[in-house]
Amino acid sequence: MQDFAAAKSEAADYWHFQPGREECSRRHLASLHEADVTLESLIPEKDFNTAGRGSAEVKNLLKRLGVDPEILRRVAVAAYEAEINVAAHSKGGIMTSSIYSDLIHIVFRDKGPGIADIAQAMVPGFSTADDMVRELGFGAGLGLPNIQKNVDALHIHSAAGASTLLEFLIHFDTNHGQ
Amino acid sequence: MDNKETKYFHALQIVEENCTGCTACVRVCPTEAIRVRDRKAHIDPNRCVDCGKCAEVCPFHAIIPRSDPLDLIHNFKYKVAIISTSYFGQFTEDVSYAVAKQALFELGFDDVQEEAMVTDFMIRMIRAYIRANRDKRPIISSNCPTVVRLIQLKFPSLLPNLFHLEAPMSILTRSLREQIMAEKGLSEDEIGIFLIVPCPAHVTAVHQPEGAYKHLQDGAFSIGMIYGKVREHIKNLQNNPPQIATYPKGLTWALSGVQADLVDCEDIRALSVNGVDNVMEILSRVEDHYLDQYDYIVMRSCTNGCVGGFFNVENPFVAMSRIKKMIKEGTDSEIDVEDLKKLYQQGEFDVAPLAPRPVLELDKDIKTAIVKMKRINEILTTLPGLNCSACGSPSCYALAEDIVQGKATIEDCVVLLQRHTREDGADETNLNG
Repeated sequence: MQDFAAAKSEAADYWHFQPGREECSRRHLASLHEADVTLESLIPEKDFNTAGRGSAEVKNLLKRLGVDPEILRRVAVAAYEAEINVAAHSKGGIMTSSIYSDLIHIVFRDKGPGIADIAQAMVPGFSTADDMVRELGFGAGLGLPNIQKNVDALHIHSAAGASTLLEFLIHFDTNHGQ
Repeated sequence: MDNKETKYFHALQIVEENCTGCTACVRVCPTEAIRVRDRKAHIDPNRCVDCGKCAEVCPFHAIIPRSDPLDLIHNFKYKVAIISTSYFGQFTEDVSYAVAKQALFELGFDDVQEEAMVTDFMIRMIRAYIRANRDKRPIISSNCPTVVRLIQLKFPSLLPNLFHLEAPMSILTRSLREQIMAEKGLSEDEIGIFLIVPCPAHVTAVHQPEGAYKHLQDGAFSIGMIYGKVREHIKNLQNNPPQIATYPKGLTWALSGVQADLVDCEDIRALSVNGVDNVMEILSRVEDHYLDQYDYIVMRSCTNGCVGGFFNVENPFVAMSRIKKMIKEGTDSEIDVEDLKKLYQQGEFDVAPLAPRPVLELDKDIKTAIVKMKRINEILTTLPGLNCSACGSPSCYALAEDIVQGKATIEDCVVLLQRHTREDGADETNLNG
């Protein structure tokens, strides 16, 4: 996909794959076939009343396709956490879900201000959330680690002062990987 | 009350003569089970969960929740009524618990028993069950038949979380039947045990209990249906209040919040949810493991719990306040739970694992399902997006899905039809001009 190729020199990329999932995930990302079904959802800045709608929509859609409940749960959790991240930490963004017969690929693009140190953001408990976000019960520093735990492939592309791209893949087959 | 197209029984029935096809019911159904076709509403029996929302909203009395006719009791030698706890919240405050109960004997029952009698025993069973099933979190109450059916339909992955033991009116039925057979020397079929229920879902549950191993009740009467007769008897009884056993402390069962408070203790954290929309939102979050901090969730489809049921006469908040007053002021009569204990230990209250009712999936094969979804999205872009329900489906999305599933056509969209007619008209003027 073009998002993966568009790495700027100063920006950092973070990759993570579940054991046994790297090859099939990379194969999917290298191929350019169009998604069977796509969904788009806006995520307004600091709007916690509507944040979560996009992931709810995706979950309902996957239910209609008859996706395994455990996989459904992983998609719902990862998508919800990422959506909350965009609402809590960025100036707003957009969530694009592409559904294929064997997997789901969700991309979150925001308007900045970017992640200065992605490796640090992946440490459970680390958070840059402001007081307002914490007051609402978010910002415990578990968002990104929770996403990573639930997805087969995770890619984050960001830099301080720039926009952030977060995307992940979850395969629908249950027989290998997680 | 037979449904020929399905294996599912439903208490909610449409009276075609009264139906104007207005779609009020179509828009409130939480499972999108209703469609208006040929100007009449139809309920899909595979999707209906008997919540009663449609009957509540229908302005034309075209959706009637049925319960059994009271005459049914005459088919039995010995007639027993079991009263739902919400019954006691339906009267003015000058009507005592004992009078309200005695009035039911006057309807022709040989024995009147109460759901409230076993509330305390239930709470202990629930706690023991939670402690024995720590691997499933949270345990979800199974007393509300609508919640059980909603889980079968929309949240099948949560079926193992349901409390798999019979509800209070059913454990009471089991123990009463044995007791009366032994004491009166009657056979099983000579004893008629009936529930007096607050909602259509409980009528459905009596006629088609989910997971029941044993013969339970013989019929269900709506609180609303007997209300008029009961009030007559109450008038006569007011001057001469009877001395009979009452169990006000057990009335907590009718109030979902109070029930949760009772189960809640040092090692069990309980949450209470009521109202069908709230229930669905919470079920979705339970499904994603966001509510694993709770050990038990009391779920009731109606406002405030069973006091909000469609068959009740009084407003759910007023009824709740009256019941709370009775709980506070009353004291319980003695109750012997030895029989219940014995049956419980013998596994007589066990419920069979419940099966899902999958209706949401577009197709059994995911590839075909995706093709259908793609088609739905294509159709959706051509629809006006007003979600007006004028086509008879609850939303534009539902219409698109109905079209793909062969249950409707694009011509059903009234708005598109009007636009096309206008355009055609414009074309003609152009040609003529």
